[in-house]
Amino acid sequence: MLDILPLLRDPMMMILLTMFSFMPVLFIVVFAGAGGMATQALIGAVVLSLFFGGIQVANSTYFNKHWFRFQDIYVASTISPISYVIGLSLATLIGSLPGVIIAIGFLVVSIPINPISFVLMIVISLILWVATLFLGFAIGSSVKDTRRANSIPQILGFFLGFLPPVYYPLDKLPSFLQPVMMLLPTTHGAQLAKYYLGMITIPDWQVLFGWVYLVVFMLLMALFSIKWSKWVDP
Amino acid sequence: MDAIEVEGLGKTYPKGTEALKDVSFKVARGSVFCLLGRNGAGKTTLLRILATQLRSTVGKARVLGFDVVKEPDKIRERISVVPQEARPFMMLSPYDHIYYMCKIRGMETEDAKKRTKEVMDELELWEHRKKLTADLSGGLRQRVIVGLALVTTPELIFLDEPSIGLDPLGRRVIWNIIRKMTKQGTTVLLTTHYMDEADALADKLLIIDKGRKVFFGTVEEAKHAAGTETKVLLERPGSTTHDREVLVPKSDQEMMEIIQRGLKEGKRVTFKPPSLDEAFIHFVGGSIEEETA
Repeated sequence: MLDILPLLRDPMMMILLTMFSFMPVLFIVVFAGAGGMATQALIGAVVLSLFFGGIQVANSTYFNKHWFRFQDIYVASTISPISYVIGLSLATLIGSLPGVIIAIGFLVVSIPINPISFVLMIVISLILWVATLFLGFAIGSSVKDTRRANSIPQILGFFLGFLPPVYYPLDKLPSFLQPVMMLLPTTHGAQLAKYYLGMITIPDWQVLFGWVYLVVFMLLMALFSIKWSKWVDP
Repeated sequence: MDAIEVEGLGKTYPKGTEALKDVSFKVARGSVFCLLGRNGAGKTTLLRILATQLRSTVGKARVLGFDVVKEPDKIRERISVVPQEARPFMMLSPYDHIYYMCKIRGMETEDAKKRTKEVMDELELWEHRKKLTADLSGGLRQRVIVGLALVTTPELIFLDEPSIGLDPLGRRVIWNIIRKMTKQGTTVLLTTHYMDEADALADKLLIIDKGRKVFFGTVEEAKHAAGTETKVLLERPGSTTHDREVLVPKSDQEMMEIIQRGLKEGKRVTFKPPSLDEAFIHFVGGSIEEETA
């Protein structure tokens, strides 16, 4: 609660955060026009709005522990690590929701969406969000260097969010780069979301592989988090 | 039963730094226990182990009758902590901090509002309740942090340098709260660098240096063990410091004789009681000499 309150009290900050996942959409609309590319960019914004929130949990966890020292206050109280993690996660969800709602609004206006496709797109966003939350908690609670705590989430955001073909089509990349990008979970998430919304066609095996990839990625991040996240210091 | 029982406690951090070595002591319930030591002596390490925030490497520690390793949840229900150098969230008000900590601690809305008012009144924060903490002075921010630990009525409270950055009046507000809490039966474990604070509050002291216990006892015992005694100063009114006599009487009889002589000679007689500062330097002075050698 203490994490989301400053945002709720400061609408300008909320708008700025919302704009963050929209910046590539604006560029694509300006340079490519409001056609299929723009729709794919909007799908990317929906998929990544929650993802960026999840990555930010690394910062929140680190600064709560090492700068504000609130984690020490929470540890020495009746607050459980699970409720702390849920609280911080919900804070990122609330912070990301305006961006997701606006992107969905534009999408609904742009193309016809059937409810099942819509639900599947949200499920994909949630899987990526949960996976990055696990990753964020592991990074935030184990990193001790302030520079790393600031830079790692930014680097992850760039390499997993802006760089891969989430906002733009995969086939815009040179053919040798496409398999490399398919190693990233966000590429799979975006491909699946674009497929369900009728923007691209991919073979059935690739759809199945995409889902398996996302779920395995989430489970791996969960294991990583269980191993590295620290409530009590060793 | 004692509030804290520590036996042979040691802590070596994963990178090999030995922060605590074979520390043992007991703290009686309802008392103020003061941990003294230089920066990096191991005070915060010891406090964090007892507050269940950090695991020890060797030894045993029981807090309020519960083992810190095996029964941390039972301890956490009964304690509060003010961590060293904790900072409030700049974009929130003091009221937000205290109120939401009440809610986090499980209070109903009305109880939380009532308790928030009580805590803020006690810390003289009520008039600042709506300001952003970013706009408060360092001392007021520190009071907000102390307020977070006061939302419940703990059996044991850990205060890691709670009065740092406070002005003399602000420090006395904290001292009064500590005294009030101990009257109500709360045990206080306090770390501080202010010797006058330890002198004014502590029932028992533990001085640690480089992770080792170098003194455990009362303030008076510390002064006595360090050989610091009451000094008597005899000087003519208006005279320079060269004319001043500084005497250290060995008995009450000798002190009386010095006082009588001073008064007969028309001199001003003043007393300089033994200070904890001197005792502290006596106990950790060895390491100062080593470093400067």
